[in-house]
Amino acid sequence: MQVTAPAIRALRSPQARRLRLGLLFVSPWIIGYCVFYLYPFLATLYYSFTSFTGIGNPQFTGLANYRGLFHDSMFRTAVFNTFYYTVIEVPFSTVAALGLALLLNMNVRGQAIYRTLFYIPSIVPVVASSLIFVWIFQPSFGIVNSLLSDVHVNGPAWFFSITWSKPTFILLGLWGLGQPMVIYLAALQGVPKELYEVAELEGASPWQRLRRVTIPMISPVILFNLIMSLVLSIQYFTQAQVIENPPGSPGDSTMFYVTYYYQQAFQFLHLGYASAMAFLLFIGVIIVTVVLLRTSSRWVYYENDQR
Amino acid sequence: MPTAPTREITVQTPPSPQRRRRRRPHAIANGLGKHTALIAVSAMFALPLVWMVGTSFKTAQQALVFPVVWWPHPFVWRNYPDLFAALPYFRFFLNTFIYAAVTIVGVCASSSLVAYGFSRLRWPGRDTLFYLMLMTMILPFACTLIPLFVMYKRFGWIGTYLPLEVPTFFGSSVFSTFLLRQFFMTIPTSLSEAARIDGANEFYIFSRIILPLAKPALASVILFQFVYCWNDYLGPLVYISDANSYPLSLGLSLILGDYTTNWAWVMAGATAATAPIVILFFLTQRTFIQGITLTGQKG
Repeated sequence: MQVTAPAIRALRSPQARRLRLGLLFVSPWIIGYCVFYLYPFLATLYYSFTSFTGIGNPQFTGLANYRGLFHDSMFRTAVFNTFYYTVIEVPFSTVAALGLALLLNMNVRGQAIYRTLFYIPSIVPVVASSLIFVWIFQPSFGIVNSLLSDVHVNGPAWFFSITWSKPTFILLGLWGLGQPMVIYLAALQGVPKELYEVAELEGASPWQRLRRVTIPMISPVILFNLIMSLVLSIQYFTQAQVIENPPGSPGDSTMFYVTYYYQQAFQFLHLGYASAMAFLLFIGVIIVTVVLLRTSSRWVYYENDQR
Repeated sequence: MPTAPTREITVQTPPSPQRRRRRRPHAIANGLGKHTALIAVSAMFALPLVWMVGTSFKTAQQALVFPVVWWPHPFVWRNYPDLFAALPYFRFFLNTFIYAAVTIVGVCASSSLVAYGFSRLRWPGRDTLFYLMLMTMILPFACTLIPLFVMYKRFGWIGTYLPLEVPTFFGSSVFSTFLLRQFFMTIPTSLSEAARIDGANEFYIFSRIILPLAKPALASVILFQFVYCWNDYLGPLVYISDANSYPLSLGLSLILGDYTTNWAWVMAGATAATAPIVILFFLTQRTFIQGITLTGQKG
């Protein structure tokens, strides 16, 4: 191949040199991205149009998997359960984490001790915290129902009740809100003190200071946390898998989206069907993220607005 | 300033003596209210753990006694040796350690290189690729799991930790890369400029100047990766099938099916899995909080 003089010059230009150096440093990630993200993602999209059991070649079936999902009542149940969990857990944990962070930020003595106490549940291994909650909410001998019976209330079966299983999982989720709380606290401590002094001089009430100073100043962090917690709760899986046996019980009330996906993929080996579920999950996550980012221009404030 | 202890940021100017005097009764009532609320919340956060440890020192019968017994009586240790005899707990422990050690090497090696390329070098397309990397954080794991499983099966990796270890050598831990990048951005560029003028090549600057300065951030990355492996349930659930290869999290989940009649045992298992990580947290709290703070900053 003949290489022309301008091409050599272009390759040797400082610009090209910088590009090569940059790519060299990030090359581990570029390889990783192609092998562990891009290829499997595209393959999932392809499998979603096929019938595939993992052995032999995928058989192209067009939109059959998607049509199947449309008529699958268990799929609808899984979507509903996940929606239920997300719509309640995310707002509650966001408000509670922010509230606790605000409380701790009010020059409280022993702030570090409280922060540690609130954070510890988030580092308890998920399997351990699941076991603890199963025991606490154990229908006949658990401490919650024992204490309830002291005040003559017949406690429900919690994790093993069709009505109460999801709320109990939400309580388990709320126990781990120390992580966002610590992030909010750090953000609150980064708000310049002068802003509050000015607001106070102008006669702003505490509520106004919160609404007009605090929330706008930490809004980028709130947006980031909201996106991450939404994306995580849409994929809710581990705790339900550990606690419920068989997964999804009682009466499909804890059949979450990924629980059903996992069952289809690794129990029934309906890899094409599961791939279609995965791709719809991707679409869902994208929609949620885009909607949040779109509305964010109305409530997220960037200090040095360059975006 | 990520190296500053977070405690320092909380220091507030004390109110002037006059104002304090005027406000005292109100301030005391206010403080009391705040602490009552905080103590109540603390109790809700702490009680499940207290109850876990308490139950682990009871006999099986005593765990079921009604009304509730808060302090174990008699106080029994036996649950722990019994549990370790029934389950290959130390095996699980060792498996988790090896998994953590290998991936820590992988994450530190690859994420620091990639973070360097995304922060201390200027090149066309850098920010586009960086946002692409951040976007993979919201990609559901389900969207890649099946083809990866098929691929690893072809490699003969199913049943080993390779599917969980190898990707970490290719920057799969976006969180760590992001954390390190945030830290690298805080190091003055003049430092690299000076070294470049002296004729140092970029890899030398990276390994001899920037990395030694990034020790606190690397410590956070190591800690988070360790906690991640200790907690990881999904990865081993998919790829590890032989119980002898289980990490702690997966091994612990065995206990629920087998010993649900003996809650003291189950809680001993939960305590044995929780205590090491909580102790580690207490020993390294500042590194932990700094790491979270670093990633919480907008950048």
